[in-house]
Amino acid sequence: MASTLEAPAAPSGATSPAVRVLGERLGQQMRGATEFRGDLAISVERSAWVEAARTLRDHPELDFKLFLDLCGVDYLDKDERLDRFEVVLHAYSVSKKHHVRLKTTLPENDPTLDTLCGVYKGANWFEREAWDLYGLVFQRHPNLTRILTHDDFVGHPMRKDYPTAKRHVLRKPKEWLLKVPESSERMIVNIGPSHPAMHGTFRIQALMDGETIRDAEAEIGYMHRNFEKMAEARTYWQIIPYTDRLNYCSSFMNGHGWALAVEKLLGVPAPPRAEAIRVILSEFSRIIDHFVAVSTNVVDLGAITPFFVVFRAREEVYELLEACCGARLTVSYVRIGGLAQDVPDDFEARCRRVMASIRDVTAQAEVLLTRNPIFANRFRDIGVLSAEDALDYGWVGPCLRGSGVAYDIRKDHPYSGYEQYDFDVPIGTVGDCYDRYLVRIEEIYQSLRIIEQALAKLPKGPVITDDKRVALPPKSEVYSNIEALMNHFKLVYEGILPPRGEVYGYTEGANGELGYYIVSDGQKTPWRLKVRPPCFNIYQAYPEMIKGGLLADAVAIIGGLNVVAGELDR
Amino acid sequence: MGLLDLFKGKFVDPTWAGVHAGGDIITTRLDAVVRWGRKSSIWPMPFGTACCAIEFMAFTGSHYDVARFGSEVLRFSPRQADLMFVAGTIPDKLAPILKTIYDQMPEPKWVLSMGVCACSGGFYRSYHVMQGIDEIIPVDVYVPGCPPSPEGLLAGIMKIQEKIQRSQQAKAPQGQHRLGVPGDGAIDRRARRGFWSKDDAEREQKGLPPRGVLALRVLPDEPESGSHHG
Repeated sequence: MASTLEAPAAPSGATSPAVRVLGERLGQQMRGATEFRGDLAISVERSAWVEAARTLRDHPELDFKLFLDLCGVDYLDKDERLDRFEVVLHAYSVSKKHHVRLKTTLPENDPTLDTLCGVYKGANWFEREAWDLYGLVFQRHPNLTRILTHDDFVGHPMRKDYPTAKRHVLRKPKEWLLKVPESSERMIVNIGPSHPAMHGTFRIQALMDGETIRDAEAEIGYMHRNFEKMAEARTYWQIIPYTDRLNYCSSFMNGHGWALAVEKLLGVPAPPRAEAIRVILSEFSRIIDHFVAVSTNVVDLGAITPFFVVFRAREEVYELLEACCGARLTVSYVRIGGLAQDVPDDFEARCRRVMASIRDVTAQAEVLLTRNPIFANRFRDIGVLSAEDALDYGWVGPCLRGSGVAYDIRKDHPYSGYEQYDFDVPIGTVGDCYDRYLVRIEEIYQSLRIIEQALAKLPKGPVITDDKRVALPPKSEVYSNIEALMNHFKLVYEGILPPRGEVYGYTEGANGELGYYIVSDGQKTPWRLKVRPPCFNIYQAYPEMIKGGLLADAVAIIGGLNVVAGELDR
Repeated sequence: MGLLDLFKGKFVDPTWAGVHAGGDIITTRLDAVVRWGRKSSIWPMPFGTACCAIEFMAFTGSHYDVARFGSEVLRFSPRQADLMFVAGTIPDKLAPILKTIYDQMPEPKWVLSMGVCACSGGFYRSYHVMQGIDEIIPVDVYVPGCPPSPEGLLAGIMKIQEKIQRSQQAKAPQGQHRLGVPGDGAIDRRARRGFWSKDDAEREQKGLPPRGVLALRVLPDEPESGSHHG
């Protein structure tokens, strides 16, 4: 039963309420529970899959209302495994502040499982993704079709026996996502994938009744560039540049999250100075991400001035990043266990200059927008999503907070020393576009507060851990003594070798919880890496949100959600 | 700078142009004027898909200010554009759409491939990413980088201007023969290397620099009057 990939059960796992409640409810159908690095994982029989998920969600003691992630894992030819596939669900409880991982296995000859669409709304697209990439069949799923790859694609690419680079050419894109009902005068409007309002490569088709949207369907996958498949053939260091290109509006934060996830797997913390610098640069990245979200959103509505205003400060943040690591956009600055190098000597002065400039342009943008009646009329009461629905879809970050749920990982599960800093978590009251805008603007000011405090007590010391299993020795030692040279050689040649186990590392990205689910089999490359992309959940709700509204409002809504294609499709 | 100065020796080959009557009358060829106008008012269409599109925004923003090159009028309709910036990775799913958009642009048209993903697939050697947009559309200027710096992009647009001035256009997709090859590069990398070394040798015989070496034309300095050195 116990697989070699799983860590042995720790006694603390058995005392968790989730294990107790599920054990009582499912009896023999619960296979067991493990705990590794603080992550609770519960395995159940596949017949009890839906029942288990529903219990987790509805039991008052558990209350796992926030759907996080669902993915497949392929354990082809992994020793001692009876079943080839595994389906993994991640969920979180905002009220009880705990995570859970629910797992079940599926045999190769019959990879079928009941759908969770009736339990979590957000499961819909994730199950389509698992079907697309792994060929897992979810019974009674409303629309089990390909989602990331194209229609002419043959096979399920994330399976371990599918070659990484085998391509299939698409000759003709899918023309219609919707059908016009018989004998109706309604019309279909197609937007995207190449459309300025679509912020990249999303596509939406709307069934119009006059100016009103009656039905809508989204298609994604136009930016599916296979990060997860390639990560299975890259070492933990080599994955860092790929993470930069997930949410490229705030590259640094993705690397930060990745480093923390791997550090959690390894059990090797980064030194305090590195953590403080990571916090500072992450907060700057959050600010410039919010700048892009707000300014491009209003560009879509016809106001181009705020774009020019805030991009001035954005450019200065780029210059700061360039001074630290040499790259503007895709920084690759973090390393496992710290940072690539120390910041320049005038770091603090530079930060303060950039902060002054951010304060200046944010104030200007606020004058242009916040009380501007045209802007407010376009945004108020548009795209309202209730807190329950937001949790059900798995919304996180500014969008969830706009809907009135005060969940911020920096506050609730502090990492990188966020517990030392004093800041507030703004939340909305209505859950409309205007609330999401206000939350973003307030978060910019809160980020500045965090940076201010972090700069004031920026610790001295090294910026990367001295653990020889993780960090390369300093160059001066490599050139002068044999141990360091051998150490360097072995690390480069063999890579970082983490323990066997599974972790879910999560951080507060600019548009929500960015999670990395790593399955390690002790090799230098991860066996499976699943990114939990905030945009995937957010964009899933978009077609539902625009139904019944005007087409012009659909444009206003999408910009405010800040969906980033690189992260949506990975 | 008056129109006359622009024509005098700088932007137009002086063998075409004559300046008469004390500098009040210019004679030149009509197509030279048309090309000069065309290159100085490019209407680009950004086909932005990924990270490069963000850097493209910086390129059009206030700091780098592409308006200095007369190319600030971004058109999101291909029918109104004469230069397409392909900024970002093009997965196989997006390829037919890129082709459609390209076909919708009126002639004459140019394509600038921004970033290594658009040029060659970049470090996405994988099952769903096109290994260079020249598999389906002709590319005039490749600007590598991940993403290229805005300065690199400015150099790229100057190269496009040179091509417009010389009336050059890429006519056929350069990488048509490798449409759909596996993304790992194992098959065509060697062939490509062979092709480039042959091409370099041919160009060397003609006394030309190898392709890919950035050979922007350096504009001649103003004739020195000598006084400002004093």
